[in-house]
Amino acid sequence: AHHFITATACQEADYGWMIRHYCLKQFQLSMEGIGQRLWCDWDETVGTYGELTNCTALIAERLDCYWPNRLVDEFFVAVHRQYFRNCSLSGRALRDPPNGVLCPFILLPILVTLLMTVLVVWRSKRSEGIV
Amino acid sequence: MNKTTHSCFLLIILLIRMVPSLSSTVNYTDPTLEPVVTENSVIRQKIIDSQFKCYERMNRAPPYKKKGLFCNRTWDGWLCWDDTPAGRVTAQNCPDYFPDFDPTERASKYCDETGNWFRHPESNRTWSNYTLCNSFTSEKLKMAFILYYMAIVGHALSITSLLISLAIFFYFKSLSCQRITLHKNLFFSYVLNSMFTIAHLIAVVPNPGLVKRDPVSCKVLQFFHQYMLGCNYFWMLCEGIYLHTLIVVAVFAEEQRLHWYYLLGWGFPLVPASIHAVARAKYFNDNCWMSVDTHLLYIVHGPVMAALLVNFFFLLNIVRVLVTKLRDTHRAESNMYMKAVRATLILVPLLGIQFVIIPWRPENRLAGEIYDYIMHILMHYQGLLVATIFCFFNGEIQGALKRQWTQYKTQWGQRRREHCSTRSTSYTATSITEVPIYLYHHDSNNEQLNGRYVEDSELVALKSGETSA
Repeated sequence: AHHFITATACQEADYGWMIRHYCLKQFQLSMEGIGQRLWCDWDETVGTYGELTNCTALIAERLDCYWPNRLVDEFFVAVHRQYFRNCSLSGRALRDPPNGVLCPFILLPILVTLLMTVLVVWRSKRSEGIV
Repeated sequence: MNKTTHSCFLLIILLIRMVPSLSSTVNYTDPTLEPVVTENSVIRQKIIDSQFKCYERMNRAPPYKKKGLFCNRTWDGWLCWDDTPAGRVTAQNCPDYFPDFDPTERASKYCDETGNWFRHPESNRTWSNYTLCNSFTSEKLKMAFILYYMAIVGHALSITSLLISLAIFFYFKSLSCQRITLHKNLFFSYVLNSMFTIAHLIAVVPNPGLVKRDPVSCKVLQFFHQYMLGCNYFWMLCEGIYLHTLIVVAVFAEEQRLHWYYLLGWGFPLVPASIHAVARAKYFNDNCWMSVDTHLLYIVHGPVMAALLVNFFFLLNIVRVLVTKLRDTHRAESNMYMKAVRATLILVPLLGIQFVIIPWRPENRLAGEIYDYIMHILMHYQGLLVATIFCFFNGEIQGALKRQWTQYKTQWGQRRREHCSTRSTSYTATSITEVPIYLYHHDSNNEQLNGRYVEDSELVALKSGETSA
């Protein structure tokens, strides 16, 4: 009998409603507080985003749903569409600079190395008196 | 050194971090439990980052266009999964959130025939297979420890053999010439490089607290580490240039000015090291600059590879000249220089080969392990190899050492005989008259190259004969 109870514990409709009314409202307030200009600044929004994630997980636990699930996916896709549509794909992860900056950084020492080699070969020739 | 081998060290770091707490913070073996929010903020941060990127990707990627059933793209709590056709298993690399997850292993997810993601039979929830991520971790940890200790032993052996070689070079003043001076500088740079590497391996790698605190000192250590790496290879280049000038350009005239060599060997490597430091600080300022996932490392490795290539071509040119032009004219000298070049010719490819084969780590586990061992030996036992080939296997130095040894032996023998017996003078007389003959015969092999050494030892023999007769 108790298997039957736990199997029907997660009501998807309820879950959907609750995350929209509790978690999303909180998130909306925070994001308004941050200001639309800074929505694409990951350092500013990471805390609020994390809280939103926490909130959906907690409600899932409350309602005996497993997390994440299809509703969570749809929910977050909608959130992203609304708030992060125009942002570049950033994140706190470090990445290399763009190729336009990286290539000169790499090619310059190589060229200087070759120049220095030529210089040393030339100077050691000259120091013998052999030109 | 280079990306893949540094990633070995990264694995070592990750696995060493695992030692105090041998389990991850999430019980992933429990099939019913999907990843929930963990307390550890660093791990949680990484997971939130990945989640954000995943939903961004899901938002922007175009909808599934192919025909047939498919499973929708999803975020499973740890990794992002794309639209997958029905009946297929999709896989990607394990995440690196937890210390016992190996990012080179694969996590998989099965999309069944009906177009739904696989549900675990026990819990009936959507489940991805992360079991491979930490299943081999104990063996990998063992191997990582073996490689780590191998590296430390290699560098310690290198320092020892290089210091012995330096002692030999400084003691036998008669050996010294310009080429030996260059050897001394090369060995010295190897000693410093090994010291910095050992400092890095002992102080920084097993110390995640230090890495987390990220003091300036560990970045300074990295800067010097990169500088010494450059010095190593640029001194090899100086050796090549010296030989080239000596043989090809000036044809055995001695006495070049060594100032430019000192500049290239000690001064110039500051340039790539500084540029790397600036670029790293500005664009990829991770903790202690330990990450090897960045192309910025090529700022140092690019010039090193260029130096190796240039060196190799110089040496090929030298061999060409020695073989073709000088064979007939300067026979004796060309043999001697051929021997000198032989040592450098063996070393340059050996030192450079790690840069060539590094990108091709085999996928197979056993072959990968063998590859790791070989690469570690090539990288960390270089100092020992250089000392052996340039010093211990050098005929001149072996001869000088042998002479010194026999000199000591006769001196001890003399003192012992003087001490032990005052009566059996006939015995001492005969044994002393034998000694000069022995020395003379012994040195006749080296007569060709080292005429003056034969004279020295004869003088020694004569002196010993005089004092005791």
